[in-house]
Amino acid sequence: MNLDKLNRSVLAAHASGDGVALAQLYQFAGNEFVSAGSIDEGCFFLTQAYVYSLEFGLESAEEIRIALIEHGRER
Amino acid sequence: MDALQFPERRIESSRGLANAHYVSSDRYYEEREALLFSSWSGAAVASDVPNPGDAAPIDFAGMPLLLLRDHDGDVKVFQNTCRHRGMILVEEKCNLRGTIRCPYHSWCYNLDGSLRATPHVGGPGRNFDENVDRRNLGLFEVRSCVWRDIVFVNISGDAPEFDEYAKVIKDRWKEHEGKPLYAGPGSSSFEFDVACNWKLAVENYCESYHLPWIHPGLNSYSKLEDHYHIEEPGLFSGQGTLVYRQIVGEKGERFPDFDGLSEFWNEGAEYVALYPNVLLAVQRDHAYVLLLLPQGPGRTIERVQIYYPFEPETRPDLAQLMETNGKLWFGVLGEDLFVVEGMQRGRHGVMFDGGKFAPKMDGPNHLFHLWVADRMLARGRRMAAE
Repeated sequence: MNLDKLNRSVLAAHASGDGVALAQLYQFAGNEFVSAGSIDEGCFFLTQAYVYSLEFGLESAEEIRIALIEHGRER
Repeated sequence: MDALQFPERRIESSRGLANAHYVSSDRYYEEREALLFSSWSGAAVASDVPNPGDAAPIDFAGMPLLLLRDHDGDVKVFQNTCRHRGMILVEEKCNLRGTIRCPYHSWCYNLDGSLRATPHVGGPGRNFDENVDRRNLGLFEVRSCVWRDIVFVNISGDAPEFDEYAKVIKDRWKEHEGKPLYAGPGSSSFEFDVACNWKLAVENYCESYHLPWIHPGLNSYSKLEDHYHIEEPGLFSGQGTLVYRQIVGEKGERFPDFDGLSEFWNEGAEYVALYPNVLLAVQRDHAYVLLLLPQGPGRTIERVQIYYPFEPETRPDLAQLMETNGKLWFGVLGEDLFVVEGMQRGRHGVMFDGGKFAPKMDGPNHLFHLWVADRMLARGRRMAAE
């Protein structure tokens, strides 16, 4: 995962208010960190993704919620 | 509270409300509670949020409210304040595709007001905390009811049921009750930002005494003697006319009537101030509401919406007439502005004693003063009991 590129993409999405892109970018980052065994970082990003998925009514909200529950980060 | 400042039951010997009711900041907040928050008050129109997910922030006498239409199509009103740090949740009109996200720490609320998510509340990436029970932290819902497209709110939550409050006016206008109302486009919706206390706009609206002087254009066909008082103590007051004339377009076009009206409405029309702050007009072929949205003791937003008995987009042949009609009402209602602003400035005259009512002409106005007095006295009794 290219973190610099991800950061730039996240900042661009924040600047343009593109919540759908934010949800996708954060979810991608979260899954990458979780896969690499960095659960805390991964759940931070998944939480960010969860919020934007909820706000924009995306179907991804439910799968993210389940992932967070599995890691003991959501109820 | 000095009871001597209040009007008397007999209009012949009564003075109007004292200056403080119009210029005092303290009195404004007392009245906000006693007159506006504890009653059913008009705060918005439901056509502001026509689609599921539509949301609009409302400033109702300084109280931040959130008007929204949920995914079932029901209109709801919440306090527009996050339960976490008190941040305003929605700043401008929008369509909510999902939840309401607080822009500060992103607590998320469902459209039914329940708290859905509390991100990072237990630390980074940890989204719950033993001491933050989401079940008890939903948005505060404000009691609300929609009638004639008007969103009425009862902030205190303890006013009588809306149907009880509105029963008499619904009975009076039973021929109009339940008929579809369609918000007009373009010039059918407008606002005035007026330098007066909101009550002065009520008082001016509910009497016909001023018509020959302030609305000479109307007076050319609608003379003072063609009007009658509408007086329903404790509920509403206003004026009716017996010579209503339909607007006619350049090609002779007219708006269709509301269905099923009796002959009375051919030339009858009524203009009522439903206490506290909803000014209504009912006519054979269109209606309007004027909401008085207080901004402080000396400033009021007058929000007007005109309604028709047909869906505007289905009648392009009447588009120009609707535009003309909106402009007509903008002009007529605008004629009253210098009066209410003048009365506001006049009430800074320290020798003004509330004014002398004209007993034969000011009955509807006097009734409103009595309603204010009764509500304020009741508030005083409640506070004394506490």
